[in-house]
Amino acid sequence: MRKKKRVGAVSPGNLYNGGKTRTRREWRGAADTLYDYSRWCVNWTRLIRFIIRPQSIKGLLRYRWMHDYIAAIDLLDRSVDGLRGNQLRIGHTEFDYIVKQIISALTIMFEADQRIGGDKKKSDKIVVFDENMMEHLSFGFPDLNRSCPQMCAVFARSAVSQHSAHYYIDVAEQYGITGDVCTMPKAELGVAIEQDFPDIGNCMIHCNTTCDTSLMGNSIEDMFYGKPSFALAAPEHIEDELVMEYAADEIKDAIAFIEKQTGSKWDWAAYFHNMKMFNEMTRSFLEILDMQKTDYPQLPENNYALHREVYYTRMLNGRLEDLVKVEKNIRRLMYKGYKHRDIMCSEVRHRALVWGVQGEFYTNFPNWLIECWGIVPITHFMNLTSTSIYADEDTPENREQAYYDLADLHVKMLMRNRSEGGFRLGVEDVWRFCEEYRCDMIIMYEQIACKAMTGYHGIYEEGAAERGIKIVWVTHSLLDTRKASRQAMRDEVNLYMRTVLNETPLAPELEVIDDGNAW
Amino acid sequence: MKDLKTLTFYEELIAGTDNDCLRAAREDGRLMIGYNCNQLPEVLLDLPGCVSVRMRAPGVSSMDVGTYYMTSLNCEYCRAIVEMCFDGGYNFLDCVFDSYACSQMADAIDNIDKLGICRSSNSRFFVARVDTPIKSDENAVRHLARMCKARVLDRLHDEFGIDVSDEAILKAVEEHNRMCALLNEIGSYRKLEHPVITGYEFAVICLATYSAPHDIMIGKLRETLAELKTREADPKDAFRIRVVVAGSEVDDPDFIKMIESTGALVVADRYCFGSFPDRMEISLPSHEAGSGADNASEDLLTSICRQYVKRCQCPRHMDRNKIDQRKDYLAELVREYNADGIIVQQMNFCNFWPYERAAIAHIIPEKYDIPVLSMDRPYSSGMSGQLRTRVQAFIESTEIKRLRKGMKHA
Repeated sequence: MRKKKRVGAVSPGNLYNGGKTRTRREWRGAADTLYDYSRWCVNWTRLIRFIIRPQSIKGLLRYRWMHDYIAAIDLLDRSVDGLRGNQLRIGHTEFDYIVKQIISALTIMFEADQRIGGDKKKSDKIVVFDENMMEHLSFGFPDLNRSCPQMCAVFARSAVSQHSAHYYIDVAEQYGITGDVCTMPKAELGVAIEQDFPDIGNCMIHCNTTCDTSLMGNSIEDMFYGKPSFALAAPEHIEDELVMEYAADEIKDAIAFIEKQTGSKWDWAAYFHNMKMFNEMTRSFLEILDMQKTDYPQLPENNYALHREVYYTRMLNGRLEDLVKVEKNIRRLMYKGYKHRDIMCSEVRHRALVWGVQGEFYTNFPNWLIECWGIVPITHFMNLTSTSIYADEDTPENREQAYYDLADLHVKMLMRNRSEGGFRLGVEDVWRFCEEYRCDMIIMYEQIACKAMTGYHGIYEEGAAERGIKIVWVTHSLLDTRKASRQAMRDEVNLYMRTVLNETPLAPELEVIDDGNAW
Repeated sequence: MKDLKTLTFYEELIAGTDNDCLRAAREDGRLMIGYNCNQLPEVLLDLPGCVSVRMRAPGVSSMDVGTYYMTSLNCEYCRAIVEMCFDGGYNFLDCVFDSYACSQMADAIDNIDKLGICRSSNSRFFVARVDTPIKSDENAVRHLARMCKARVLDRLHDEFGIDVSDEAILKAVEEHNRMCALLNEIGSYRKLEHPVITGYEFAVICLATYSAPHDIMIGKLRETLAELKTREADPKDAFRIRVVVAGSEVDDPDFIKMIESTGALVVADRYCFGSFPDRMEISLPSHEAGSGADNASEDLLTSICRQYVKRCQCPRHMDRNKIDQRKDYLAELVREYNADGIIVQQMNFCNFWPYERAAIAHIIPEKYDIPVLSMDRPYSSGMSGQLRTRVQAFIESTEIKRLRKGMKHA
């Protein structure tokens, strides 16, 4: 159990009074509060600059989902809850870049959007990617833009404002989709039914990652999209090496499809250059993971998971050089914090592995775990997606290998390699990671409509009991707060900590927070 | 109509997971091969010396253990299979081939495998995974053939010494085709204006073909066919409309009985465990003896896999042409069997069918002007009063539509 006196307020305190916005900013000591406030101002400036552009104003008036982005800064504040010093700076480095990228993605979309009089030529240079698509497929098409409208209209927006997906979920349910399937593809389908996706792109690539429901949602969205599309199949049983040939064949066909539809040619030089950058990011990531194994982990897992696996990769259009710079900055800050033996809260009581699909409407839940109970989430299965180093030198052998590398990245796409990849990746790795990262606790998200993970419920329970690992089940419904609210998620942890472990919270005022109506 | 004499035989076959025919086959030294999905070529599991058994959970009442391991958030069919294994219902299996077509079923099979449920009674027991493709193109055909060779045929040969030569496969195909031809001839009586077989009776017979050795079924089906040739339909229509039932797993003929008890005759069955398309014959002209065709153009296994991939009607096949083709296929069944509408159903908590069902409910009435009843249901739903009411309402609305159409034409 490690303790450290904190600068500023001991805990963030009660920031909510039942309204939309927070009642005050957190006091982090003079230097950190000033730093935090300066980043707040910088991000507001970015947002204002974006929204006064004519195409952005048209987008704001045309699309219902755009309105929620007014709360983007609130997301930023939430994501750095309780952080101090280097960790606060790392949090801002990550999230400020996410804001920048969301703005960039929206700008590209609106400038090309045919529904609001966008430029047709720009639209023709866009290939629409499903949000669960492996972005590396765009590495070899430097003259094309990859765009992912679902990310802006549903996923990122849900993190910004917790109630934002409800309307589109209801639309999909009125169309006939049942209430027991995952809300993410359902909300995306709702947007498609309402014709609320920007009309962009020459063609679309969709896929069966992350899961069965996502596959099905895409099939109907494809119908509404109405332009040429390619369904990029990823084999399901990825523990079997025999499936890779199928995956590689699919990659080849997808590249041929994009070439045919857009007239662009696959550029090997660009591909290997981008892959080099990507490998550099992976190496940096492996260093971060190593540091998380020590007594002084420097990154709250949610921030890094969102930063690396969720937003960066989906939003970016192959400008990996910028990412490498950000990674270097994070690494520098991280080492500085480690040197000072910084810890994330006043007292580290438990090291937790976070497993399962996180509640997108409550991305700062891990911050709450740290602040309220001293549970430090070390790493998350979203983080543990791609840690391989791929061929990045342009040689004839590597060109053939590249199809298999892309296939590997595709089958191991975000989330699905753990949730759908089979027993070894979904269950046995949990115990391995607990040992490697010295975790005594698992925060197990149970997304009530995610059938992939819930199917292992009993096996997880028995495995954890056998190994003496504490397992805390946290139920949520991904985008739908009506089925399990933020407080309901907190209550499950409160109950476990008080009754099973007989512990008292570090910050009792955080056990119940009146944020049911907040962004 | 007079009772179908052979019906009791089929009903006994499907009353539990095990039956007299399977027991007799085991006594003959044949292997019991469990499987869970029609995307896995069944004929490869019916090679000489093997009997395929499609897994289901008849009569399962409580799913407590299945629910403990898989939670109540998962499909009841999958939970019921786990429960049935815990209850010892599948202790007679020598192995299980999982198609990995659905994550919930994959988890169920993982539970069976990792908890060693069936292995406790049979040390030879193993579970093998066969990744089945998600599209119906040539990549998919090649992939399925590769998987079947390595994960089914090689495994059966290595573990049990089963003959997996082309001759053995052709023999299994021939037997499969004989059975399918007979079943389809029986099913074709449903096309008649006054069918001499009900949907329930056909569902029982069809389901029995998944639960017994094909060679035994062939003899019995012949007997049933002979019986139908002389069976007389009721002089007055007992049914008000004719429907095609589509959707996810229906391994409980009581569900069909429930539909028919409300006045809707089930004339075609496009659901998992139904006859479309799983009981279609496998056509291999270039591989038939004396065909004179160039056999070198494609190996036998690939030809078989091509048929399974191309005819698959599972909503997980995500290529756009297949998405459209599935709706065309249903409309074609309605036309061929002179049906008045479609009942599309799905089991609760299914991942695939909620989307496909919604799409069918929108596209079929719009594009083909065919009424559709869309509903979800629990695993055992033969007694559901709620579903009964919905079917009754559908019958009434379809009759009204038919009347209006008639008035328009007049």
